[in-house]
Amino acid sequence: MITIAVAGNPNSGKSTLVNAIAGTRLHVGNWPGVTVEKKEAIFEYNGKRIMLVDLPGTYSLSPYTQEEIIARDYLVHETPDVIINVVDSTNLERNLYLTVQLLELGIPVVIALNIYDEAKKKGYRIDIKSMEEMLGVKVVTTVATEKTGMERLLSTSLKVAESPFQYHSKQLDYGEDIESIVRVMEQRIKQSHATLAERYSLRWLIFKLLEGDTHILKEINGDGNGLYFDDVVRHLRKMYGDDIESIMANTRYAKASETTHGVLSKPEIRKIELTEKIDAVILNRFLGVPIFLALMWFVFKFTFDVSTPFVDWIDAVISGPLKRWTVVMLGMIHSPAWTISLATDGVIAGVGFVIMFVPVIFTMMFFITFLEGSGYMARAAFVMDRAMRVIGLHGKSFIPMVLGFGCNVPAICATRILENQKDKVLTALLIPLMSCGARLPIYVLFVGTFFSENSGTVLWSLYVMGIVLAIVMGIVFKRTIFKGEPSVFIMELPPYRMPSFKSLMIYTWERGKHFLVKAGTYILLVSIMVWILLNLPWGVEHKKDSYLGKTGQTIAKVFKPLGFGSWEVAASLITGVIAKEIVVGTMGEIYIEKKMVETTEQKTILQDLKECGISFTMAVKDSVTNVFSTFWMKSISIRGDKKLTPLRTVIQKTFTPLSAYAFLAFVLLYMPCIVASVAMRNEFGTWKWVGISFAYQITLGWIVAFVIYQGGKLIGIG
Amino acid sequence: MNLSMLKPGEKGKIRDIVMGGSLKRRLMDMGVLIGEEVKVLKKAPFGDPIEVTIKNYNLSLRKKEAEIILVTTDDK
Ligand SMILES: Nc1nc2c(ncn2[C@@H]2O[C@H](COP(=O)(O)OP(=O)(O)O)[C@@H](O)[C@H]2O)c(=O)[nH]1
Ligand SMILES: [Mg+2]
Repeated sequence: MITIAVAGNPNSGKSTLVNAIAGTRLHVGNWPGVTVEKKEAIFEYNGKRIMLVDLPGTYSLSPYTQEEIIARDYLVHETPDVIINVVDSTNLERNLYLTVQLLELGIPVVIALNIYDEAKKKGYRIDIKSMEEMLGVKVVTTVATEKTGMERLLSTSLKVAESPFQYHSKQLDYGEDIESIVRVMEQRIKQSHATLAERYSLRWLIFKLLEGDTHILKEINGDGNGLYFDDVVRHLRKMYGDDIESIMANTRYAKASETTHGVLSKPEIRKIELTEKIDAVILNRFLGVPIFLALMWFVFKFTFDVSTPFVDWIDAVISGPLKRWTVVMLGMIHSPAWTISLATDGVIAGVGFVIMFVPVIFTMMFFITFLEGSGYMARAAFVMDRAMRVIGLHGKSFIPMVLGFGCNVPAICATRILENQKDKVLTALLIPLMSCGARLPIYVLFVGTFFSENSGTVLWSLYVMGIVLAIVMGIVFKRTIFKGEPSVFIMELPPYRMPSFKSLMIYTWERGKHFLVKAGTYILLVSIMVWILLNLPWGVEHKKDSYLGKTGQTIAKVFKPLGFGSWEVAASLITGVIAKEIVVGTMGEIYIEKKMVETTEQKTILQDLKECGISFTMAVKDSVTNVFSTFWMKSISIRGDKKLTPLRTVIQKTFTPLSAYAFLAFVLLYMPCIVASVAMRNEFGTWKWVGISFAYQITLGWIVAFVIYQGGKLIGIG
Repeated sequence: MNLSMLKPGEKGKIRDIVMGGSLKRRLMDMGVLIGEEVKVLKKAPFGDPIEVTIKNYNLSLRKKEAEIILVTTDDK
């Protein structure tokens, strides 16, 4: 198998190029243990098996960002057969800076001179022949968006991979000062540390030692070689001053710049570019923020309003025909009653729950990817950075936070637009405080029952409470967990470009699939667990005697000081792990004591199928209408209002307005739902942050509810 | 004089980066090298960060980061 690694600067069109080559064979995942996305594909080309690995986009191979470490660790330790280096032809110099570093590795390199169409349009002329000569590599011009040059890029890469000696990358001449050091060190290392010569490209290793690269020093110190090198490095630093790093950076840039000047000829007169014109408006002092907010509103609206009819449709199909026919089918094979209950209320309900997220996740992924690929995301960060910095966040964090009001799950997935681990984690930790649509049914039930006079104000206060607490917690986290972590904002504002639709679709699809598979497994498990809690021991007369009832009784004490210490409420809160809206359903089941009997209509499969089809058409229609309607709150419609009347009567006896408000605050805060937790686990590759999220949220929820209830009693409300 | 003091439209030549470590390295990787010409294009609506052109592309950085980049201008 031939391994091809794809490396390049961010915004060089790397994703588009990889999609163009691999298409749907692309598999999206994460690099082990980190939040950085890993994309790879295995396929056949000309009868050869090829593994294509897309490395994270980087400007350099220094060990300062996660992406850089991943990219270079992969290149150094896995040594692919060939590197395809994607280079933006409209920005040669900075792109070639990375190329120069890739050449140090001694792995054959093929340059994909991408975005060649734009370079031509600008009147740039690039002398490919002399570029090949100066850098000693093969150069292929490509236009990834149009899939031009892909065949030639692949066949050239294969040719190079198969005869590495013929196409061995040239070592660039870094000048006598540096080259003489390299020669001396090379000799010494070969004599005394032959194993190192096998493990690393010596030239690269020597540069890293010169630069005092702590990452590499640690790696080889493991071999007990540290002292020897520390000595040499110290000596060199003495000779050249402490700033060998600057010397190296300057030398490499000099090479990049020399090549650029040697191969590129630009027209004399520079046209005012489209990007400048657009930015004059979009980054305008007065218009910048309103435009950003308008765009956010648009994305939010599309993500939630367009997908809601489909969510409802999926919900209806699953809880209607699908359940009905499962019951019928299991009945036919005489399955015991408990298996039917487990299959419908546990398994189908659980899986159905995940599937309901499909439309939202996919739409959101699509928009986010579009905003990123077009170049707008960087502008959004630029515009919002100052405001977000107050809570220790990055400018880009605003977008996931806003999405959180619709649903926390896509919001947490959207934290991937942030580059820095700290920014990602902090944003994800605060997102659950954004009151999502699933919490609304609970609000509606309680606000409608206790505060019908001023329901708007009370509802509004809950949303504001979430935002205020997010600001407070942001500041707290900044000073505690993330104390001392540097926050830098050094970001390219790339030219605006049109993302390729196909590339967007492939990415959206892969990303969504990855989430669904992962989430599905966990959610199924939790649904089954909740089913067990609620229904076992099998045949209990009273829900109070079920495991859930027992657990509810045990933990109810904890909620006593908050004003809602009954086992029914405690039990409902437990099932709220799946999704907060389920709290209402469980309350209904427990308090009303009879299952909302499903109308067992007699329908043939054909009738059912026809109805599904009709309701799907309606969903399409609704979704289109929603685009043109302006009232965004519509997306969180209040479902099943009629059914709630008996429940209202019951909760009126259990709660006072004060304890009801404390309860609402608690529900808002007490934990992320299971789907959000899985999303968090997915993004960060560890349960650690999920744990922290649960811990701080339940504490915060308890304290806030306590203050509301006890404080309220103290000043004589309730 | 440092980069954060330039107004939109003004140009300067980078004289020094007065801070070592990873921040300096990151800046250098992005082409912020001594001797390089830099032009301030814009400030963000809230006045910070700023956008500059360097090495033929556009880069944004916070004022805090621009402050460690010393520049010389023509009129001085
Ligand atoms: N005109 C043109 N645009 C391209 C080309 N390749 C990519 N793009 C666009 O450049 C933008 C950034 O591409 P993307 O693949 O996301 O870059 P990445 O950050 O390197 O992964 C997208 O809008 C692409 O559609 C190309 O060859 N020509
Ligand atoms: Mg990309």
